[in-house]
Amino acid sequence: MHVDVGDAILRLAQETGAPSLVVVGTGKNVGKTVAMRAIYRAAVARGIAPGLTSIGRDGEAIDVGDAQSKPRLFLRAGTALATARDVLPASPASEMLELSLLQTAAGRLAYARVRSDAHYELVGPPTASGLREAIDTLLHHAPYAIVDGAVDRIAALAGGRDAVVVACGASASPTIDEAVSDVRALVARLSIARYDGREEALRIEGALTPSRATQLIREGEKRAIVVRDPTQIALSGRGALHALERLRVRCEREIRIVAVTVASIGRDRTFEPRMFAHEVASATGVPTFDVYASERAA
Amino acid sequence: MKPGALLDDITARALEFRWLRTALAPASPYGDRIFERIVPFAPGEEAQAEARARRVAAIASGFSSQTLDAMRDVFRNAPDASNAIARASMGDTLSDANLLELQRFFDACVRLDTLTDENAALPRVASAAVVESARRIELGRAGKFGFYLADAFDPALERARSSLAQAQAEYDAARGRATAAIATLLGREVEPNEFIVMRADLNGALPDGVRVVREAPTYLLCEIEETDATLAALDRRDALATAAAAAEETVRRALTDAIREHAAALNAAADAFGEADVLVAAARFTQTHDCTVASIVSEPALHATGACFIPLELELEKEGRHFTPISIAIDDVAVLTGPNMGGKSVCLRTCGFIAICAAFGLPVPASNAAVALFAEISWLGVGADDEPGGLLSSFAREVVRLRDLLKRDRRPLFALLDEFARTTTPREGKALLVAVLKRLQAIGARGLSATHLAGIAPAAGVRHFAVRGLRGIPNRPGTSDLHQALESLASSMDYTIEEVTDEAAARSDAIALAALLGLDERVITDAYDVME
Repeated sequence: MHVDVGDAILRLAQETGAPSLVVVGTGKNVGKTVAMRAIYRAAVARGIAPGLTSIGRDGEAIDVGDAQSKPRLFLRAGTALATARDVLPASPASEMLELSLLQTAAGRLAYARVRSDAHYELVGPPTASGLREAIDTLLHHAPYAIVDGAVDRIAALAGGRDAVVVACGASASPTIDEAVSDVRALVARLSIARYDGREEALRIEGALTPSRATQLIREGEKRAIVVRDPTQIALSGRGALHALERLRVRCEREIRIVAVTVASIGRDRTFEPRMFAHEVASATGVPTFDVYASERAA
Repeated sequence: MKPGALLDDITARALEFRWLRTALAPASPYGDRIFERIVPFAPGEEAQAEARARRVAAIASGFSSQTLDAMRDVFRNAPDASNAIARASMGDTLSDANLLELQRFFDACVRLDTLTDENAALPRVASAAVVESARRIELGRAGKFGFYLADAFDPALERARSSLAQAQAEYDAARGRATAAIATLLGREVEPNEFIVMRADLNGALPDGVRVVREAPTYLLCEIEETDATLAALDRRDALATAAAAAEETVRRALTDAIREHAAALNAAADAFGEADVLVAAARFTQTHDCTVASIVSEPALHATGACFIPLELELEKEGRHFTPISIAIDDVAVLTGPNMGGKSVCLRTCGFIAICAAFGLPVPASNAAVALFAEISWLGVGADDEPGGLLSSFAREVVRLRDLLKRDRRPLFALLDEFARTTTPREGKALLVAVLKRLQAIGARGLSATHLAGIAPAAGVRHFAVRGLRGIPNRPGTSDLHQALESLASSMDYTIEEVTDEAAARSDAIALAALLGLDERVITDAYDVME
């Protein structure tokens, strides 16, 4: 089904009432920035001048990590952004909103507003707490925030009120089966249900680690295992699925996953797009979109 | 704020110098730079030290705590513009972030002057250079706090940007038409960058203007080619973007020149801002801890009434207890005796803390004080044990520190000896302590030596102070709760320090204290029997 993917995801996100949307991925080059760009364009088309930031480095022409070309960010006037002050282009000049003491990989963070349409690079704070601060500050300058997140900095989602989009793709896994399994595990981990307080519970202070989960499974734990929020579940991949199937893990604060995006084009491999999207949609039960194909999985 | 030669590390630790530093820390990087340069006043600089303390006290009494806190907020929120001023004076062109830093700094200067309300104790910071520089960049103010290289700076900039915006709109329109046409031909939405076309969905060839980037068995990864029209629009846009960039750089250069013209005066304003930050921090400290200006005297001495050791006072407050202020007059080297937990060490620390405050030109935590500037304040004894000493015993470490102290021979010396030589035999310890006190007297040192050893003062020929001690035997608490025991002790202890002449009056109350702390009653009874 052909759709304007950015607009469809933005609508799903806004229906939750969340003031911000964070795109996280199952790995590198799984289409996070492409998804973010589509959502951003949809916001601009609706007359929303959003605020953007990133937990890593996005929008540069070449990936500084692996020297591969990266999707660039062409931002429209009115957009607010939180990025390293040293990567802000000298021209066209941006409106400087605030200077922060937060450090990024490219120097101190600045908040700016685009005054003339141009390409921008996003280099946000690398820490979860720094990212939260950046999102909160952006929301003083913009009605909505869109964040290019990172799965290994998922703690940034803790304590937030973000809608979350999970991106998966052919770059991160050698086969469709593994890619589907990875995204299913991540979605399962992030979307565990809220503890309703009615059943007997074992509260875990800090993270639910693989060793603790193994111990609880071995002991046949039947109580609800309550963690503060899904970011406290330090399990991934098949290990996460295994544990979540055997333990009744609950959280005190939920994370709202609104969509999954698929990128069937990897640097070293490609997946059959419709099959991939369909299998991801079936495995996760979450609305699934292919940004490249402008399709929502059936 | 550096102790310099006034304190060594062990003394600094014993007298909580780090706590004092933290309590006096300024709020801005401007203040930090000034604060880092602060060293104690040296003997001979009594007038300057007292003048500074009077200045701090005038600020503390001239402003409410709310106004001082409002000033602290101004310091805290002022970005560091020093780098921008330096860059301008070196001939670099300032970035827009630099210009925002300067704008915020100028705003902070004006706001601070409004708050200081021409109080002479604080420097005026919004100098003529600040006002003029602020005026030059004011056109860039965006909203209340932002900065933008606005069109109003230069009509040429406005024209260049207007042309660029027009060219961008033309390119967007041309590109949008091309994208819309292809979307219509494909019968679906297409991403303006890269998009997929499923081979199964394709009836015939791809529309003209679509370029295949990558082929896969079931789909094609495509992008929309630039047409002659879009390429021409793109070229026009790029040329105008270059022209707009040059116009922006011209404005930045002019603003940078205006800053460079006043660089020296702006640096002076930054220093004054930092100085004000340091003074306000000290004034807030003075208000919070009810400090007073000590007379800084040239004859080595320390007289204090109602003196407090603030770090301990705060700790006690947290537990709902209170600090008993100390009054003492030290004109030479004296011995201090008293019961265990009677406050001998606290008395030493209080005297040392007051001497440090005076040395840094600060009001002191006492109701009244007259203090000299000392060349060195030195702590020997309890508290020095946690310094790693390798193969040396605690006694050996004390002796080595004493050896080095006497060798340095910085005069006047303020020596605080807390149970010096307590870890050797009482007989030899006493002999050694008497000899040390005689030597300190001989070199004109001032200070106190807290000890449990009897007969030190007459043997050394020095004065003898004593803590009065317990008013009778305190009630033993019903439980082994330490907090209750300490409360009972505090209510029974008379912490008053007075000069004594009767050596026999000195007592330690050690057995009573042991009882209070819950030691087995049989042991206590036996101890009293032995005493009798």
